[in-house]
Amino acid sequence: MAANINGVFTENLRNAILQSKVLIVGAGGIGCEILKNLVMTGFVNIEIIDLDTIDVSNLNRQFLFQKKHVGKSKADVARETALTFNPDAKIVHYHDSITTSDYGVSFFKKFTLVMNALDNRAARNHVNRMCLAADVPLIESGTAGYEGQVELIKKGLSQCYECTPKAAQKTFPGCTIRNTPSEPIHCIVWAKHLFNQLFGEEDPDQDVSPDTADPEAADSAGQGALNSESNEKGNVDRTSTRGWAQSCNYDSEKLFTKLFHDDIKYLLSMDNLWKKRRPPIPLSWKELPDGVPGCSKEVNEPGLKDQQRWSISKCGTVFAESVKSLSNNLKALQEKSPNNHLVWDKDDQSSMDFVAACANIRAYIFAMAGNIIPAIATTNAIVAGLVVLHAFRILENNLKACKSVYLRSKMNHRNQLLVPEKNVNPPNPKCYVCAPTPQAVLAIDTSKTTIKELDEVVLKNRLNMIAPDVMIDGTGNVVISSEEGETEDNNNKFLEELGIKDGTILKVDDFHQNYSLTVTIVYRERSSLKGDSPDFVILAKEQDLKPKEEDLVKPSTSNGQVEISDDNVMIVETETSSDVAKKRKIEASEENLSKKRKLEINDVDDDISIIENDINNDMDKNTEEKNDDCLIVHDDNKSIVATSQ
Amino acid sequence: MVEDKNQNVELTDHEAELYDRQIRLWGLESQKRQVQLRAAKILIIGLNGYGAEIAKNIILAGVKAVTFLDHRNVTVEDWCSQFLAPKESLGKNRAEASVPRAQNLNSMVDVKADTSNIDDKPDTYFSEFNVVCATQCTIMQIKRINEACRKHNVKFFAGDVWGLLGYTFADLMTHEYAEDVVQTKKIQISDSGEPMQKEKFENIVVTEKHIETFVPFKSILNVTKSSLPKDSEIYYMILIMFNYREKYGKDPLPSERESEKLKAEADIIIKKYDLEDKIDHLIESDLYAQISPVCAIVGGIMGQEIIKAVSQKGTPHNNLFTFNPDTLCGKILRLGH
Repeated sequence: MAANINGVFTENLRNAILQSKVLIVGAGGIGCEILKNLVMTGFVNIEIIDLDTIDVSNLNRQFLFQKKHVGKSKADVARETALTFNPDAKIVHYHDSITTSDYGVSFFKKFTLVMNALDNRAARNHVNRMCLAADVPLIESGTAGYEGQVELIKKGLSQCYECTPKAAQKTFPGCTIRNTPSEPIHCIVWAKHLFNQLFGEEDPDQDVSPDTADPEAADSAGQGALNSESNEKGNVDRTSTRGWAQSCNYDSEKLFTKLFHDDIKYLLSMDNLWKKRRPPIPLSWKELPDGVPGCSKEVNEPGLKDQQRWSISKCGTVFAESVKSLSNNLKALQEKSPNNHLVWDKDDQSSMDFVAACANIRAYIFAMAGNIIPAIATTNAIVAGLVVLHAFRILENNLKACKSVYLRSKMNHRNQLLVPEKNVNPPNPKCYVCAPTPQAVLAIDTSKTTIKELDEVVLKNRLNMIAPDVMIDGTGNVVISSEEGETEDNNNKFLEELGIKDGTILKVDDFHQNYSLTVTIVYRERSSLKGDSPDFVILAKEQDLKPKEEDLVKPSTSNGQVEISDDNVMIVETETSSDVAKKRKIEASEENLSKKRKLEINDVDDDISIIENDINNDMDKNTEEKNDDCLIVHDDNKSIVATSQ
Repeated sequence: MVEDKNQNVELTDHEAELYDRQIRLWGLESQKRQVQLRAAKILIIGLNGYGAEIAKNIILAGVKAVTFLDHRNVTVEDWCSQFLAPKESLGKNRAEASVPRAQNLNSMVDVKADTSNIDDKPDTYFSEFNVVCATQCTIMQIKRINEACRKHNVKFFAGDVWGLLGYTFADLMTHEYAEDVVQTKKIQISDSGEPMQKEKFENIVVTEKHIETFVPFKSILNVTKSSLPKDSEIYYMILIMFNYREKYGKDPLPSERESEKLKAEADIIIKKYDLEDKIDHLIESDLYAQISPVCAIVGGIMGQEIIKAVSQKGTPHNNLFTFNPDTLCGKILRLGH
């Protein structure tokens, strides 16, 4: 071990390594790599936490795990394997969620530094706040395909994870999702909507059938409507997709034929759509090709199961199997209560199989060149190496040298592949998390929002609090208490009823995160059309509420913007495609793309996310979608595979 | 090199047709690439910490076979980063000691050890492989292996990690590869001629074919200062460390930190390139044994380059990647062309 051998490091660093106590949050792709680097370097006191168990799909990059470990705790097996590298290390593992109250500020205070190796924004936000509260340096890292980044978060010195507003969940026009998908993400969004239509919570804004009100199809829709009646919203009238599926008892052949043959034929009849586009090809259940999307024949290749690409006929089989298992699950749930439904869960094999199969089939039908590959092992290795080099600098008390570093998929104009920032980015004084007295403005419909919605949707879901207490400033009334049973009576009351109105100031406190936030309420009427605009907006300062003209939420083209997120939240910015194109041109002339990149990579919650491997024009990255549970990569392989870092 | 072909373009009917064909071609191309990766036989010379990282990455990626060639035994210095060789294998052959853990990474890959000295291998030996990757070799050895690989049309890589700094070098001779490029094409809304027409853009992926020409390792030695970019500190460091290895037959040990022998080699290069005090901080930095996180970084780059080379997909680094542990900058130098 490097720190045990005289002369490998300076005495100063060597002692600091031996005496330090460090925490790794996450034992996935980056976590495994970090742990290996730490034990080989000679770190002695290491703690690692992960709530996950090992899945077969992890084995191609989470190299501390083998087939025989499938189903076991990641943190436990990572510790076991790392101890074979260095039996003298003292590794404590937790098979647990870092957000539980067992890991409070005093837990974090034990450590010299904390390293995040996480795959989702909620946990990153939480660890960010805990490290700020405990004043412990945090090394944050993330990867997406061939790109990655590492940055230091230290209270008062650097930006915190929440200093820069993370890009809102991007929306796609409904007609792109329903009629003219051009990128794999469109197919994934469609497949997730389909999941909800068939098994989950039905949402009229997540229709998956052809949209005849597509303005692009204007001239031909009438003729193309094939004598079907369509309602004013452009949906072909019929019983709901769910009702129809239930009426045919979730027969997979019938479902397949409707979704991938009849609906596609219908789309073809809207011929204006296909004047400049490659028309889709309807698929017949009886004659599914052996090809994989973008490829003419099935490739038999060795490798781990989850890395293999599915042919379309394989997708058909997976479709049938997952429909069967999901419809059984739904039936079982509904026997308990007819209102029950399934909830999309990326860790559920059938759910993931269903979405992957449907998205693949649709990508094939629309001849999509995009394709989807797992997280890249080498990217994790490189980023984890940078994390540990940052740790050395923290141990040498040289925090100013911990400049953010970006790994690019291709070198920049200075021939750099690993690109360091010039300086540590200073904190945002307006940050609603790390500013000395954090403040935010909440624009919300006080007459239509309940206390429960404020608690669940705004504070917990959007602001990632764990157990908030809310008091009205001035009167001292506690409207939400984290103590069970204290404020339950308020749950179904509207904000107004408790005196929360335009101008009210709320003192919000999360004891667990040691986080206090002052919230100024601004009245904002909730749109009656769901999906047209967010239910609420959170801003650093009130002036931001008055949007510039181009920021105004555009009236939707046909049936509203399709949102990927489950919550109905976004930050005021909606781009039309031409805005994006304009932006791209502007950005092409900008030298420093790294800041933007940072936001995006941080956003990846990576079961599947999209990366365009083109990289000649980095600008394209800004239009990419990082979906909550999906990471799609345009690269060699062509199937949609479920993966995580 | 890839030209900037990504300006927003409106797709003509002709281009649309072309694109359609490229899509189909792309499918076939990609299938070929995948098969090439699964069929690749790789030789890794020198199973130190860096070699172990390279091995891990390509075994996880799923090639056909990997051979570890090393006549050396596991040393205490290997404990700093060689995670494939168990601690108790100290003194045993490094290639053999690394096989069991390497095999555990992916049972589909055929992992073998060869304990011969590279100098005893005939030139024809290298023709058994698609890729040869040499670490911990002298300049003489690298030149000879590189030449033998050229003779048998084998892709050649070399690399080293000294303490916190490292590099990768590639000689892929004449290398053909495919590259996916995203083009933004404009979709016209309707041809009704109304003035309110909206512009709409979609991204399409087009596969471009390119050819890259490489030079052998000997061409990147002794390049003139004027042909080097301003911040080439790591290149000079590589020359110093190589010259030391050439002279003493091994790298400086941690116990020789601040030894005069290394300073003497450094002085020669500093004088030759008129560097004054520009690299003094690097000469005084950690250059001993191999530090694990740096092996992970440079080994990650090397692994990715090998995967790119055998699958003939993606622009390869032509030809020297250098990692600067002081700035954390990783840079590609194109030398000797």
